[in-house]
Amino acid sequence: MTSAIARQEKPKIGLDRDAALRLKNNRLGMTIFQASWIMVFLAMIVVNWQLRFSYAQWPPAGVAPFDPLLPSIATLALLLSAAFVRQGWGSLRSGKLGDFLSSWRLALALGGAFMAIIVYEFMTVSEAALATQYGVTLRLMTGFHVVHALAISAVMLRVYRGARSGAYSGGEHEAWAVEGTAKLWYFVAVAWILFYVVLYWIR
Amino acid sequence: MATIAVPLGAEAEGHEAEAVQRPALSEYLRWSVDHKIIGVQYGVASFLFFIIGGAMAMLIRLELWTPDLDLMVSGAAYNSLFTIHGTIMIFLFIIPMWAAFGNFVVPLQLGAKDMAFPWLNAFAFWLIPPAAIVVLLGYFVNPAEAGWTSYPPLSTLFSGDGQTLWALGAHLLGISSIMGSINFIVTIFNMRPPQMTLWRMPLLCWAVLATSIIAVMATPFLAGALTLLLLDRVAGTTFFDAAGGGDVLLWQNIFWFYSHPAVYIMVLPGMGVLSEVLSVHSRKPVFGYRMVGLSSMGIAFVGFTVWAHHMFTSLQPELRIPFMITTMIIAVPTGIKMFSWLGTIWGGKIRFTSAMLFALGFMSMFVIGGITGVMLAALPFDIHVHDTYFVVSHFHFVLFGGSVFAIYAALYHWFPKVTGRMMNERLGRIHFAFTYFGFLFTFFPMHIVGMLGMPRRVAVYDPAFAPWNQLISFSAFVLGFSTFIVIYNIIRSYYHGPVAGANPWRALTLEWATTSPPPVTNFADDPIPFEDPYGYGTEASAAYLDAVDAAFDGRGGPDG
Repeated sequence: MTSAIARQEKPKIGLDRDAALRLKNNRLGMTIFQASWIMVFLAMIVVNWQLRFSYAQWPPAGVAPFDPLLPSIATLALLLSAAFVRQGWGSLRSGKLGDFLSSWRLALALGGAFMAIIVYEFMTVSEAALATQYGVTLRLMTGFHVVHALAISAVMLRVYRGARSGAYSGGEHEAWAVEGTAKLWYFVAVAWILFYVVLYWIR
Repeated sequence: MATIAVPLGAEAEGHEAEAVQRPALSEYLRWSVDHKIIGVQYGVASFLFFIIGGAMAMLIRLELWTPDLDLMVSGAAYNSLFTIHGTIMIFLFIIPMWAAFGNFVVPLQLGAKDMAFPWLNAFAFWLIPPAAIVVLLGYFVNPAEAGWTSYPPLSTLFSGDGQTLWALGAHLLGISSIMGSINFIVTIFNMRPPQMTLWRMPLLCWAVLATSIIAVMATPFLAGALTLLLLDRVAGTTFFDAAGGGDVLLWQNIFWFYSHPAVYIMVLPGMGVLSEVLSVHSRKPVFGYRMVGLSSMGIAFVGFTVWAHHMFTSLQPELRIPFMITTMIIAVPTGIKMFSWLGTIWGGKIRFTSAMLFALGFMSMFVIGGITGVMLAALPFDIHVHDTYFVVSHFHFVLFGGSVFAIYAALYHWFPKVTGRMMNERLGRIHFAFTYFGFLFTFFPMHIVGMLGMPRRVAVYDPAFAPWNQLISFSAFVLGFSTFIVIYNIIRSYYHGPVAGANPWRALTLEWATTSPPPVTNFADDPIPFEDPYGYGTEASAAYLDAVDAAFDGRGGPDG
């Protein structure tokens, strides 16, 4: 991450001083925001972890553990989506608008698939699980995450439309909207991987 | 003699004589992205909340004048009163008040034209009025009764809809605080002039940096805790209800993981103010500059490891000793600051201005608050005085004796820069005397009644404590009265105070190297900071200060 930022800062030719400062501010601000907001997700993990001690075993007796198959597919879709976002951003920086658009179309579709699966998981928690914190924390965490994913994919959609009408073709400082949105989407992916491991693999 | 860097480009000298107009008062009532306007907006709004919260404190003391219920209709009414008092003072007064000084002073000290994200800055401020309305509305609808800490099950099973509104309002204030802090960190890292390395940065900026790092890392935990509380209250979950597999300690863990660091959010900027004020008004360099800057970071870091000392009586026994040790460790960076300040004023040419008096008041009061903090960190003593007035006394010594004294010091120190007028020094000294003695005799006796066993958060108490409580209440009214002196002083000085000039205190930091009040873009040219922000007493610094005065056609203020 850091080295990626350092690499991006090299080509400053063509950016005037104010625009360069704005870009630098935006990048640092985004990094701090990510470091800050991941703490809410960590707080949710603390909740999950502490509530486990209310029960003799986890999942509690009489509750079937969640099947990790569908969430694993969703995780894969989200990671692929983040990779396509990354690829599209790279294409845009080297001026290939068409490649950007096709990458982000794929990314949006995969993100949509991810959200659909997570919403399905949210809706189909068994009654037995919901009677315990095992099911409730799953709903808390998936619900909280999917709200973020939904909001940020809406921003991605807007940026995609903007790019299609040529709003971000004037160089790096104009493409901040793309870079910022991409970084928010990575954030969604990282936050999900934390949740995925805690919810489905740590028993 | 060293090369003298004159702060403004020479071309600025000519038209500098025409004084910069103060913004019209209506400017402060509308959306503005100018950090100076936003700073004043934060300051005035917070001060209004201070008055409201203070009036509630007066009601609390009136109720406690006698051992029986008299003013309040019930214990529940008293509960909701101290709950809203604490909430207003912490979330709506102290935390946004530091955003006020941070906003006004930090970009100026860095020689920047504005904050890094001006729009975000304005947005963060404008979240506060709706949040305040929501919180205050809750008080009048069906008030929260669980104290500002809102422990479940009090806050889930036994509080009215006001508790829900309280949580919503606190949520908004937390988001505002995170946005403001991101802005501060980026501004401090990216907007300094090239000559100002981190080690030449004024100590207020160091303190605001440390504060902001705490705020961005800790406040999300408050957001998490409030989300759970809202779900428990509204959506029928049982995160905090053992009957449904929940855990009441969960709230305490998550809430204090935010709220203990929040104590340092409330006091660290005050420590930064103290480094500025003590150095300027005793004409000496800050003793151990680097250690003062680093100790802010040390406090920020250690502050994350002590939260469970608020839960000594409910915590698993094996975790108590580790938290006792970390809590005591935090006295080390705090002690470094205290000794540095003593070293700073030692042998200095001290000017007992109002700002200096309040800074010295901070030192004496904060030492008491700090030492009672170490006493409370000691497990056996804590269990003895748990939930007594000793605790009330301790945190008021930190938050009033610390934060509020520093806020007053900052007010007297930077008022000339904000308004272009000096505050009245005689009234300032009277204000200080009333505040100092009113404060001391309000809160010091609380240590004694606390150790004698008077519990906090009760409206009815053992008649044996009545004489102490009457002394406390009387002093509290004196303290309340002192606020009117400063309000009168602010209004009078705003219109009739002597014109301040650019640099009335002859201070070296960059906020004084421009007109008072500064123009919209702060500086006519890129300012060049003096090589050492606290390098008082050298020929080079005298020459620099003379150059500043000359550049702004400067007659200094009264002490100039």
